[in-house]
Amino acid sequence: MASTTAARESVPKGSDARGSGPRGSGRGPGPRGRRRRLLFGVAGGVAILVGWQLLSVVVNPAILASPVQTAIALGELASGSTLWIQVLITLRRLVIGLAVGAAAGATLGVVAGLEPRLRSFFEPFRWVGMTIPAVVIAVLAMLWFGLGDFTVMFIVALIVLPTMYVNTMAGVLAIDQKLVEMGHVYRFPRRLLLTEIYLPGVASPALAGLTLATGIGVRAVVLAEVLAAMSGVGHAFSRAMSYLETPKLYAWVVVLLALMAVIEFGFLRPVKRRALRWRKATE
Amino acid sequence: MITFAAVSKWFDSLQVLREISFQVAQGEIVSIVGPSGVGKTTILRLIAGLIQPDEGRVEVVDAVQGYVFQEPRLLPWRTALDNVAAPLRAQGCSKRQARSLAADWLARVELAGFEHYHPAELSGGMAQRVSIARAFAVQPRILLMDEPFSNMDVELKASLLVLLQRLIRQLGTTVVYVTHELLEALQLADRLLELTPERDLREVELSDRAAVARAWLAKIQPLL
Repeated sequence: MASTTAARESVPKGSDARGSGPRGSGRGPGPRGRRRRLLFGVAGGVAILVGWQLLSVVVNPAILASPVQTAIALGELASGSTLWIQVLITLRRLVIGLAVGAAAGATLGVVAGLEPRLRSFFEPFRWVGMTIPAVVIAVLAMLWFGLGDFTVMFIVALIVLPTMYVNTMAGVLAIDQKLVEMGHVYRFPRRLLLTEIYLPGVASPALAGLTLATGIGVRAVVLAEVLAAMSGVGHAFSRAMSYLETPKLYAWVVVLLALMAVIEFGFLRPVKRRALRWRKATE
Repeated sequence: MITFAAVSKWFDSLQVLREISFQVAQGEIVSIVGPSGVGKTTILRLIAGLIQPDEGRVEVVDAVQGYVFQEPRLLPWRTALDNVAAPLRAQGCSKRQARSLAADWLARVELAGFEHYHPAELSGGMAQRVSIARAFAVQPRILLMDEPFSNMDVELKASLLVLLQRLIRQLGTTVVYVTHELLEALQLADRLLELTPERDLREVELSDRAAVARAWLAKIQPLL
């Protein structure tokens, strides 16, 4: 793509600079501003570590392990197979629960966005789903299905579903009807209406919903594993607490944060960047 | 090509069109003028089949239509090239073929080099030219235009009108062009229909265009 400056120079002859030139892209923060912002971000991270270290000096070590103790515990966990096995178990539950919950929420959201009667019908379900505390869902699921894999995934899916539903529905409702009309004038077949107008229109709020749902999903899977499973990171965390293995407990917290970071930076952000390239281009 | 027989249309309790009748023959360039709110856009929407008449009959030969809306109505997430290519794909062109035709049309509206720009990166005038390219690219037998230059300054409008005139002549398309500016209509049209504030439709004799323009200027002079 030609740069905006180049484009400005190549505005066709005879066209009016007031009305015909391309719009200048809005100025972003620039490399210096970006570097400064990054620096402040790193400073925030360092502040957490320093604060943690200082607190660990004054607080009983049975309650708060220091960053160094946590790092050592993490190293021990990582040297064996336990950490990786537990992470894989949790990741599998998270991915399946999230996929099922998000897919169901997105599908229902699209349907409800297109059909007002179904939207009214789903409204009480949405209200219950978004109002009921996650821990209540977890306890009820344990009562219905007992402990284990399925229960954890069920809890994750059920907690994630309403968020995805609401975001997708909002996206469908916000689709520009003038674009749909344009599609009808040019006789877009259903497939083209979907790929050119509806899906790109819904992508932005749906992806925002997915980001939100993933955060909720991670919290849900840990909660569910603490309460309703005999394996996984949540269970390991809960066991470390029972045995008062404080450094290990904090090591599992770090593992969870790392897991979330991998999901966010390795999956969600690239997907979002790709789907919303057009926005980036116009920023 | 297009027949309106005693067509009436209401929006809720407001009657927008009252027993309107007219015909447009193949290859004619018909301009409909009138003040805002007398139902000009409604006539275009009826021709495009986006709405149905409440009374009377609208007959339109089943043919490919192009529509240039008042605002460009481009897909914000697609480039200029893909915006022009989309209706071609709806007609069954392959993606590659559609893009190649779209690039030709962008060049014809003097937008070569801007194929990969997104609508938000283009000025209003450029975006409207993309919309014109999109309308012509489908090789329409009927072209509907709804005050496409209403938000533009005089110079830009004049240059786009010249471009439009050239393209219409090249294609021999039937055109229904709606505007509230008589001089614009006079520049393009073979026939001129006027929708009055009383919602009557009357044909304006165009044998002496200068006289029509003078009469119109005399009418608006007290306002100047």
